[in-house]
Amino acid sequence: MQSASGLPWLIKCAGAAAALLLACGLATVRFGAALQQPTVTTRDGTIITLNRYLSEPVPDLVLVGSSVAWRLKENYFSRPRVRNLALAGGSPATSLGIIARQTSLPKIVLIETNVLTRLPDDALIAKFSGGARSEAPFLRPVRTAVAAYETWNHTPPDPAAARAVRDRLLSEPPSSFDNKVYLDRAVQQMNDEDPTVPTRVNVARMQELIDEIERRGSRAFLLEIPFAAEIEHSRMVNMSKAIVHAAFPDRGRWLPIDPPRGELRWADGVHLDERSALLVVRAIESALAGRDR
Amino acid sequence: MPDRTIRGGMTFTSLQFALFVAVVFGAYYLPPLRRFQVQLLVLASLVFYGSGQPALLPLLLLAVLGTYLCLVLAFDNRAVWMPVGIVFNLGLLAFFKYKLLFIDPAAVHTTGVAPLDVLLRLPLPIGISFFVFHNISLLVDLTREKQPPRLRDVFLYIIFFPQLVSGPITRAGQFMPQIAPKRLFDVDLVEAAKWILTGYFFKLYVANNLNEMTSYMDYPLYETVATPDRWLLVFLYSYQIYADFFGYSAIALGLGLLFGYRLPVNFNLPYISVSFSEFWTRWHISLSTWLRTYLYIPLGGNRKGPVRTCLNLMIVMTLGGLWHGASLSYALWGMLHGLLLVIERPFLRLLGEAGPVVRVARMGVVFFCVTMLWIFFKLPNFDHAVGYLSGMFSPTDNPNPTKLYRNMALLYALPVLVQHLGIGALLDGRLRRWEPYLYGTLAAMAWLEAGADAAFIYFQF
Repeated sequence: MQSASGLPWLIKCAGAAAALLLACGLATVRFGAALQQPTVTTRDGTIITLNRYLSEPVPDLVLVGSSVAWRLKENYFSRPRVRNLALAGGSPATSLGIIARQTSLPKIVLIETNVLTRLPDDALIAKFSGGARSEAPFLRPVRTAVAAYETWNHTPPDPAAARAVRDRLLSEPPSSFDNKVYLDRAVQQMNDEDPTVPTRVNVARMQELIDEIERRGSRAFLLEIPFAAEIEHSRMVNMSKAIVHAAFPDRGRWLPIDPPRGELRWADGVHLDERSALLVVRAIESALAGRDR
Repeated sequence: MPDRTIRGGMTFTSLQFALFVAVVFGAYYLPPLRRFQVQLLVLASLVFYGSGQPALLPLLLLAVLGTYLCLVLAFDNRAVWMPVGIVFNLGLLAFFKYKLLFIDPAAVHTTGVAPLDVLLRLPLPIGISFFVFHNISLLVDLTREKQPPRLRDVFLYIIFFPQLVSGPITRAGQFMPQIAPKRLFDVDLVEAAKWILTGYFFKLYVANNLNEMTSYMDYPLYETVATPDRWLLVFLYSYQIYADFFGYSAIALGLGLLFGYRLPVNFNLPYISVSFSEFWTRWHISLSTWLRTYLYIPLGGNRKGPVRTCLNLMIVMTLGGLWHGASLSYALWGMLHGLLLVIERPFLRLLGEAGPVVRVARMGVVFFCVTMLWIFFKLPNFDHAVGYLSGMFSPTDNPNPTKLYRNMALLYALPVLVQHLGIGALLDGRLRRWEPYLYGTLAAMAWLEAGADAAFIYFQF
């Protein structure tokens, strides 16, 4: 790299950097984070999901949980005001804690209890307490451009078209994907893991938070999403279920769902494929309708 | 913006490091401290190293003092003490780098002998591969001089903080003559700024963003990636590792200039190489030079016939691979590079004067082979590397494949492509007056669009 005359060069360089920062800062003030920027990491996705929850009107139904519930996409639900705050790699107590720290609460909170081995993320809860959003002061120009392109290129289908896509998916046969390798690995991992300590921490936190939100007029239901049979019999699932059911013995606290088990398929015995997630959502809606009656 | 604070130490991308450099730079050129510039840099380097691994500071001191002792004694008897010094350094490297092949670090009592167990449980000292090579260079180069250098100069050469952790590996003969009083007036601030800004841009914008995507190459995540995306990820990793290490080296070079020391350029557009031998004159140049000077030539180089030349190439490249770590993947990576060098030798003269189409084709072949071999670098576990490779050739019907934004991947990889296509030549010519604005834009983009914090890839070596 060749040298150039010193101070003027440095001033121009700093000026260009400052001008670009200023432009991005002003653009952020003007447009906010309206464009949902593509997420590459789980953490990015979590921040965007939670920011969106705080910036939009309070929904009627909120789902919290782990990556198991994360597969139940909001657009699978037939009712419009649904938010899925399940955090891949997270604990249901994290999202529940964030919900409880807002001034307005949803009518119903569904809490998936399948995976309670991750501890609540107190830093994330603190970050999103009291309606505080976590947005960068400057937008990221490249990600914003990609977001604009993706939004333009993949406009969400209208409700009728989305319904047609879902109906077509349900009319197809279940997937024939051979997941044996992944299933065996998941079974081994779940037999190795002792969930006692984190599960007890999560359950205690959930009890407190459920009491709090129900005192303020919300209704909370616990939910178990089906695993593959081999996973259901694993050490981690058995121990985890025993702890949760002992802590929440009231059957009315649970939302029993009855999807057609023979049609459910998992990528690894734990995470549902798209069609199966849709079937589970239908079962949840059916169970909720039963409660309403 | 990502949090760039690494617990337990300063990295080049942390705020603490920026403050540290500012303080050292300010003190370094203060007139009352001019007489103590070398001592100040040595002290700063010890603080820098100690902030990451305070427990290993004594080891660093032992390595320097042990080498210095051998160096001084070698002036009386070079035939004995130079080899002793080299063995001492190689012993340190072998002990810390390859001990895990033989012991279980999780075991509470490894041998039952307490002091030995303490040593065995020590982690891999940061930068050991680099400072050991500096020590060997010192022993070989300076024992030919008339008198031994001063201890403080030796300390500075070995532990100068911009190059301590990951190089560039500077030869003693290049560095030691530069040790002299420095004046702020002589510092080329613009050149230093260019290197530093370029380095941070490549690290934060390119490497860290690509790292978010290439993390899906790790086991078992790659099993969720569709076959075409597995191919894409390998090429992204090729760009990432270049941006990461080039970025580090550029920052080191810029920092060196701030303190009046010119470190060697470590990269010269390696992905436009038309042969594997050319690639090794453009990639990690300081390591290639070191291996050529201190290993390949002493082994006989190409002076002992074609068979011996091929054998020497294989030996040097395999050891070069193992220098990165004690794993079959690294050894195979080096061995395959050696094999490619051997295979291409007879054809180099034939293809030497070919036209532009053949040159571009050769660039493509070299880039493709180099990129495929990076898989063994990314996945040091040999089974995982083979699993990834075989997955690139078999279709996947995973119902929930990982979504990769290819447009974003292209935008983050673009600087590497643009750089290799010759933007530097444009800047030296017609666009020269726009240069400060371009570097300002790079600085802003490095901050605005920085990917999640990730350690420099070469820190592990």
